[in-house]
Amino acid sequence: MGNPLLSFWMRLLGQDEDPGPRGPSRRLRRRIPMASAVEAEATIFLVLRRMRAPLIVLITIFAVSVLGLTLVPGQDATGAPYRMSFFDAFYFMSYTASTIGFGELPNTFTPAQRLWVTATIYLTVIGWAYAVGTLLALLQDRAFRRALALQHFTRKVKRLREPFLLIVGHGRTGELLCSAFDALGRRVVVIDIAEERIDALELGSYRGDVPGLVADGRDPGHLGVAGLRNLRCEAVVALTNDDEANLAVAMTAALLRPDLPVVARTVSPAIEERMHAFGSPTVVNPFNRFGDHLRIAMRSPASYQLMTWLESGPGAELPARGRPPGTGRWIVCGYGRFGREVTADLRAEGLDVTVVEPRAATPESHDGVSTIEGSGVDPAVLERAGVADAVGFVAGTDNDTTNLSMVSDARRLNRSLFVAARQNRASSAPLFAAMEIDSLLVPAEVVAHEVFAQLSTPLLWRFLQGVPQQGDAWAAELIRRVTADCGRRLPTVWKIRLNQSEAPTLLGWLRSGEARLGDVLRDPERREDRLAVTVLMVLRSGADGEECVMGPEDDFVLAPDDELLLLGATAARRGLDLTMLVDAAREYVQTGRRVPAGWLWRKLSRAGRT
Amino acid sequence: MNLEKVVFGFFVLLAATLNFGFFIGNISDPALHNIYELFAAIVVSLIATVLKFGDRTQIGAVHLATSLVADLQLVAAALAWTYSAHIAETGLTPSAMASVVSLSGGALFANVVSVVLLVVETVSYHRR
Repeated sequence: MGNPLLSFWMRLLGQDEDPGPRGPSRRLRRRIPMASAVEAEATIFLVLRRMRAPLIVLITIFAVSVLGLTLVPGQDATGAPYRMSFFDAFYFMSYTASTIGFGELPNTFTPAQRLWVTATIYLTVIGWAYAVGTLLALLQDRAFRRALALQHFTRKVKRLREPFLLIVGHGRTGELLCSAFDALGRRVVVIDIAEERIDALELGSYRGDVPGLVADGRDPGHLGVAGLRNLRCEAVVALTNDDEANLAVAMTAALLRPDLPVVARTVSPAIEERMHAFGSPTVVNPFNRFGDHLRIAMRSPASYQLMTWLESGPGAELPARGRPPGTGRWIVCGYGRFGREVTADLRAEGLDVTVVEPRAATPESHDGVSTIEGSGVDPAVLERAGVADAVGFVAGTDNDTTNLSMVSDARRLNRSLFVAARQNRASSAPLFAAMEIDSLLVPAEVVAHEVFAQLSTPLLWRFLQGVPQQGDAWAAELIRRVTADCGRRLPTVWKIRLNQSEAPTLLGWLRSGEARLGDVLRDPERREDRLAVTVLMVLRSGADGEECVMGPEDDFVLAPDDELLLLGATAARRGLDLTMLVDAAREYVQTGRRVPAGWLWRKLSRAGRT
Repeated sequence: MNLEKVVFGFFVLLAATLNFGFFIGNISDPALHNIYELFAAIVVSLIATVLKFGDRTQIGAVHLATSLVADLQLVAAALAWTYSAHIAETGLTPSAMASVVSLSGGALFANVVSVVLLVVETVSYHRR
């Protein structure tokens, strides 16, 4: 490329072609279809075709009127014979046809001219009405509007210059996830099959612009338009209510962009297995997760409290610490998918479980669990199941009214019961809150929190995986430290890497091997104070694999290239950034000496010293 | 026989013939160039343009492009005529007429391309 101007333009405009460090090959990208974009173009051609007849009628009427006007004899002010020129006739017809009507120009008309003009007025009005009417009807046309929306959306996605997430399904879960990522300043693209849920995007008060399209995620063309072929797409999240659709999305993403992380929601173990057949998607099954959480909560309530708090996203209140009873007998009402998962988890924990299920039980499906046949809303059945001497109760049907009445009946029979319940609809939330359920499963929220934890910061996910192994006391101490620093609302979680680009000033100090965590976190304004930051985890990648230090103490010695997961208020984050980027601030934090930050003062002080 | 093709061919050809009729003759002599013929050429050319709307084939796109060029040239010619006949003090001088006619000559070239495309399309249709 000899021409410097050419190379300049290539650098400016050719960014899209740059495959990037982990981008897919060009061949792969070409394979992703853009069928729906072609569809949109076809619709616009159809509109042009339909406008042919009205336009030709309009042109003909205009031509006939103008021609007639130039041929009809008239007279000028002195009474001499006169014929209008094309220019005058066209001018007259233009203002008459558009109903502006300046009057008879350039001279008063003769009766012959008036006769012709009367005819043309009616003709042109009809011509205009026909053309404008057809155009308006086409603009109202559903297919045309969808085509326009699709083009608009395609353009928006193409112009995204930041990494973004592709979310399929904007139900309750999608909404929670969108607002959580939006609060983090991350970009999101949404497609959903229902029009009202895409309309909800505009009503939602997001900070960033969230492009949304009414489209079926099962169609690879639609996914392609929504950014699957875009190199800035970071991950694909399938959150629809339909397990089949989620499977199709996971499959499409795995086949067309194998490099992308995929997170898919499902409630069926069979679908989960089919998803794992394609690539390595992360499958979130809310029912399964609830059982796991219950087990963690039994062993270590503080760990569970810490995990749910960190997963809830910025601004969340510290959840209450509840302790499910780890010994005794549990009663599970409703033996559907959810009931089965919970029962299996409880039994794995060594607990005795009694199932209450209205449908006639087939013995093999219950795997030898003692089963009482009958409805959980019937107090007699609950009594028969032995609620009075049970320790835990799970209301797990897919009907909120049933769940609430079961909980109320069971509480009447046994005051000290630990109650877990499943909330199916977002609108029932106040009712469940009023019942003061000990452990509430809201599938939408479980999925949203889980996906958020996985995709917001990869380090956070690693940290959460490591929390249960650290024990209850460790988690309780960590929560105490965080709440002492930042209060009971979750501050922001962020990560830093101590390298040349993120912490240039610290490198020398780090290499000396004396950079203790507590010293680095001193306030650059007053070094006696410590920044209100909690370090959750330090990840050090050495020659022999990665080393992960959970909740390091203040005397932990940092090294270059460490990755830190931090929790703290925005002000503290700015303070730490100052230490990492401004040499004078680092000098003060390290030694307590005030060094002039400006160039002039530094020159002057150096001159004074010599 | 396809009626749509008849109408299409008719208008494309008529636009070219009318344009030719206006163009032929001494370029600077107003007496040899009838303004009604220019008017007819513009109207027919506009109709031919609209008939070419919404064709998705490659040859359809080129058809539309040539028609738009012809329209542009003819409208420019009409504007030049309006200016010299109505606005300029000097009236329709030979040089003004020459510029009107030469503009329509450009349109004639575009119309000839249109006709050639039409013929090419027809011939290749028979070969297939």
